[in-house]
Amino acid sequence: MRIKKDMKLADVIQLNYMLIPVIHRFGINLGFGDKTVADVCKENEVDLNFFLQLVNAYHDKDYFPKEELQTIPVKNIVNYLKMTHSSYLNDKLSEIEQKIISLQSEDTEDQKYILLIRNFFEGYKSELTEHIMHEENVVFPYVLAVEEIIKNQNFTERNREIFESFSIGKYEEGHNDVEEKLMDLKTIMIKYLTPPANSTLYHTIIQDLFKLEEDLNYHSRIEDKVLTPKVILMEKSICNLI
Amino acid sequence: MARSTILIADNSCMIRKGLRSILQNLENSEVIQLIDNKEDVCEIVHKRKPDILIINPDMLPSGCLDAKKEFLNGSKLSLILLSDKKNLKNNLKADGYINYMDGQNTILDMMQEILNKGSFPDKNSETISSREKNILKHIALGLTNKEIADQLFISIHTVVTHRKNITQKLGIKSVSGLTVYAILHNLISMDEVK
Repeated sequence: MRIKKDMKLADVIQLNYMLIPVIHRFGINLGFGDKTVADVCKENEVDLNFFLQLVNAYHDKDYFPKEELQTIPVKNIVNYLKMTHSSYLNDKLSEIEQKIISLQSEDTEDQKYILLIRNFFEGYKSELTEHIMHEENVVFPYVLAVEEIIKNQNFTERNREIFESFSIGKYEEGHNDVEEKLMDLKTIMIKYLTPPANSTLYHTIIQDLFKLEEDLNYHSRIEDKVLTPKVILMEKSICNLI
Repeated sequence: MARSTILIADNSCMIRKGLRSILQNLENSEVIQLIDNKEDVCEIVHKRKPDILIINPDMLPSGCLDAKKEFLNGSKLSLILLSDKKNLKNNLKADGYINYMDGQNTILDMMQEILNKGSFPDKNSETISSREKNILKHIALGLTNKEIADQLFISIHTVVTHRKNITQKLGIKSVSGLTVYAILHNLISMDEVK
């Protein structure tokens, strides 16, 4: 079902609870009573059109905003993506890490295996961090430069340098490797390890990993379906400019 | 056990989504993407490498006679044609046919047959051979394909094939994941890992 501006935001969340962290990243807090999506956006000074595109892209795998895409400034998208990045780095990853650590401190017999899991997760964490840093330091400055070039219909020296040093096609290539490790971790914990004494905590960790994966999938859908196609179009028109 | 992946390509969203919802009744398979645009078909098939492609012949490149050839050469791909036309059989060297008028059970039976055909071997037997264990041990120790090939006096190509099979059987892709598996199964000890 398509999410529309006159729906109650509470109903939207009932429809898909995965949207809770999304609206939070927009600075919207729960407790909005019967207010509609449009009302809440206005109150929180969130761009309604962008909000709708985003929640719909999150909510429906097959949703692909084509025409609407053109109207959203890249800057808004980048800001949003940065907010999700910081929520991964500051909250989600360390939450899971903490749980693994407390699993480690509880059990004595299975120490060795839990250490394996922990090391593996650390490896995954640093890979994801690296991936995110690459986006923040290379990809985002690039797309912002592209937008500026379009806006001014002109190159500054610095923008030209950035534009020539990268292209969005390069970004598309390296997108899958990070997911691999997360999937492996789940597989190992489900198929090949016997849970330690505190199996409840162990189960929670697995569920957290599933949720993280789901959230990351949503996240990369915004990058792949909203940001990338938009930048490809802009690249083309810059090439015409040259 | 790895699930077989399915792509559906048709112009009509009712057909795409309807068929997807019918196929949800199948075990061990998953519709990974719906395609609505003729131009995208080839690219998506190459990128996602599905086990099964269900496609309306209208979505095929024009003048196409051997539909399979058009997509993955040599790779395992079962092709199923989806259409409202009755006289489609024996056309285009497809593995199966779905007519718009087919009932749910007919469709599911046909799909199950394709899934059972054994065109997706080994995916569910997770025991790895002793040869593969040996290779896995070397991977876990951090050796490259070339180094493994040199040490075991086999070609790089053979190493790559073994690796592919190991990954498929265990469901683990990354080197660090394979290393954890190797330690858990005492193929190597924890201290040996770099």
